[in-house]
Amino acid sequence: MIDLKVKIGTLRLKNPVLLASGTCGYGKELSDFLDVSMLGGIVVKGISLEPRKGNPPPRICETPCGLLNSIGLENVGVERFIREKLPWLRDKGVTVIVNCLGNSIDEYKELSGRLGNVDGIHALEINISCPNVKKGGALFGTDPELTFKVTKAVREETDLPIIIKLSPNVTDICEIARACQEGGATAVSLINTLLGMAIDIERKRPFLGNIFGGLSGPAIKPVALRMVWQVARCVDIPVIGIGGITSFKDAIEFFMAGATAIQVGTATLIDPTSSEKILSGIIDFMKENNYLKIADMKIVD
Amino acid sequence: MLQKRQILRQKVLSNTEIRPNIFLLKVASPEISVSATPGQFCMLRVTEDKSNDPFLKRPLSIHWINKDTGEIQFLYRIVGRGTELLSLIREGEEIELIGPLGQGFKIEDKEIPIIVGGGIGIAPLLFLADILRGTRGVVILGAVTKSLLLRLGAFKESGLEILVATEDGSFGNKGLVTEVFDRLMARLDESDRKRCMVFSCGPFPMLRALYHLCKIYGVKCQVSLETFMACGTGLCLGCAVKAREGFLHVCKDGPCVDAKLIDWEG
Ligand SMILES: Cc1cc2nc3c(=O)[nH]c(=O)nc-3n(C[C@H](O)[C@H](O)[C@H](O)COP(=O)(O)OP(=O)(O)OC[C@H]3O[C@@H](n4cnc5c(N)ncnc54)[C@H](O)[C@@H]3O)c2cc1C
Ligand SMILES: Cc1cc2nc3c(=O)[nH]c(=O)nc-3n(C[C@H](O)[C@H](O)[C@H](O)COP(=O)(O)O)c2cc1C
Ligand code: FES
Repeated sequence: MIDLKVKIGTLRLKNPVLLASGTCGYGKELSDFLDVSMLGGIVVKGISLEPRKGNPPPRICETPCGLLNSIGLENVGVERFIREKLPWLRDKGVTVIVNCLGNSIDEYKELSGRLGNVDGIHALEINISCPNVKKGGALFGTDPELTFKVTKAVREETDLPIIIKLSPNVTDICEIARACQEGGATAVSLINTLLGMAIDIERKRPFLGNIFGGLSGPAIKPVALRMVWQVARCVDIPVIGIGGITSFKDAIEFFMAGATAIQVGTATLIDPTSSEKILSGIIDFMKENNYLKIADMKIVD
Repeated sequence: MLQKRQILRQKVLSNTEIRPNIFLLKVASPEISVSATPGQFCMLRVTEDKSNDPFLKRPLSIHWINKDTGEIQFLYRIVGRGTELLSLIREGEEIELIGPLGQGFKIEDKEIPIIVGGGIGIAPLLFLADILRGTRGVVILGAVTKSLLLRLGAFKESGLEILVATEDGSFGNKGLVTEVFDRLMARLDESDRKRCMVFSCGPFPMLRALYHLCKIYGVKCQVSLETFMACGTGLCLGCAVKAREGFLHVCKDGPCVDAKLIDWEG
């Protein structure tokens, strides 16, 4: 019997396939196509204390096998999330991980304190890596000292499992991951988008309203996989793999690199049922290759 | 529980170049034909199954539907790689699509519909004209020149009054659709104008000019918007356009919206 269950600290997932923040709304948007509760869980769109309007358009630009976005963390704010979005997820029995965004350590503390006491939230994913908001996460995620401080502050605020989501836009990803572990993180997830841009040569100006955007999709998978491999070998806490996963084969690569679970992002935008297909592909692959647990797939080196 | 929405794989009935770089795509899709309303759109995959490049689906408005045969049509112009690849799909092949998506036009019985379309922007308007068959409605179609005037015959079949504007005067009135619209409104009395509802799709400057005229005449106006889309299903928030207050998300709040909600100068 194949056991798909995975543990991330006290967080129990029925299977290792999660939906990545910002690509699945608050779950309900996907329910026309997919039974979200059959997945390991959902990481909802990044939430801040106050609602955010997001960046000026254009916000997206397609690149070869990739997508640049500068959504700018548009979200309904923590109170409306709890009041209007969470009840639906709770009713459906979905494992909910809330992606949190703050402009300061105090904001991260206040946000995690607020979310920590709410029924139906199973873990927090702390986004210290979004490149879009000028005053936002980018600073934290590229500085080990600040990463440690944010992690510790959030840890002291709540008993929920804490996943720190890492930015790939750093020189040494292991240094940052270690800072998370020392700060008391339950796990790390990686990668967030790679900072990029596009220029409209007809209009002779940057394509995106915000000039820079985050690159996601198949184009970033090799970078993500390399970083997951590295981090899985430099910390003891679980690693959640993200970046360009569009088929079960991609997911297996991440498990082999050492990921305990994976998140499906951009693939959901193209095919809202991708995560379901990836999950069934994982099961078939494990059967054919006689793997009993997800962890068995990790390459020992 | 509600039937889950599917990602459909449907048979292409034909994909024909009706004017240089303008294609009419016919697809057998009983599912979409029964549920779609005018102004809604579909996301279409333009490449084969396994290819990741280009990997985003492309949004196209539903051009026309035959509920009896389950046929749906799209009218599109080649502007880049995605539409170019779409044009290579042949009769008998399958195409992957999601739909119907978004908010269509809001139609009310007592109104006098005025349909205004420019260029490829006429795409969502044929389905609408067909539904409005038998009303006092008027259709104003515009193009740069006669040879670029699209689907005139099909619009005529709706039985609505048709007015045409070409910029070079090669057919119909010489000038812009907005000029024809202006003259039409000037002809109507106040009470008729109050009952008018304008439905429009076309280039942004045309829509803006039309909206300004509607404001002057006190006429209600709905427009179908275009923007870049990644998902078309409300997941990514990438399709934002500037509204009077904050942003509108074209794939969920639109593509058809009340023109007064939009920030036309933004
Ligand atoms: C709701 C909706 C309905 C649409 N309905 C139709 C339709 O019925 N018929 C039709 O021909 N087209 C329609 N479009 C536009 C169509 O989706 C784009 O032309 C198509 O996606 C372009 O893909 P591409 O790969 O060929 O071009 P790309 O290579 O992506 O782009 C080529 C050029 O077109 C511009 N462009 C691309 N997409 C858009 C866009 N959405 N808005 C403005 N500029 C753009 C780019 O800036 C670039 O200069 C619709 C768009 C939306 C959002
Ligand atoms: C449109 C869009 C919005 C995103 N929003 C968020 C967000 O709010 N918070 C976050 O931590 N990551 C966000 N991400 C990053 C994804 O969660 C993911 O880390 C990244 O896209 C890489 O995975 P992928 O290649 O599978 O998409 C967003 C990505 C996209 C494409
Ligand atoms: S295109 Fe993704 S939300 Fe509208």
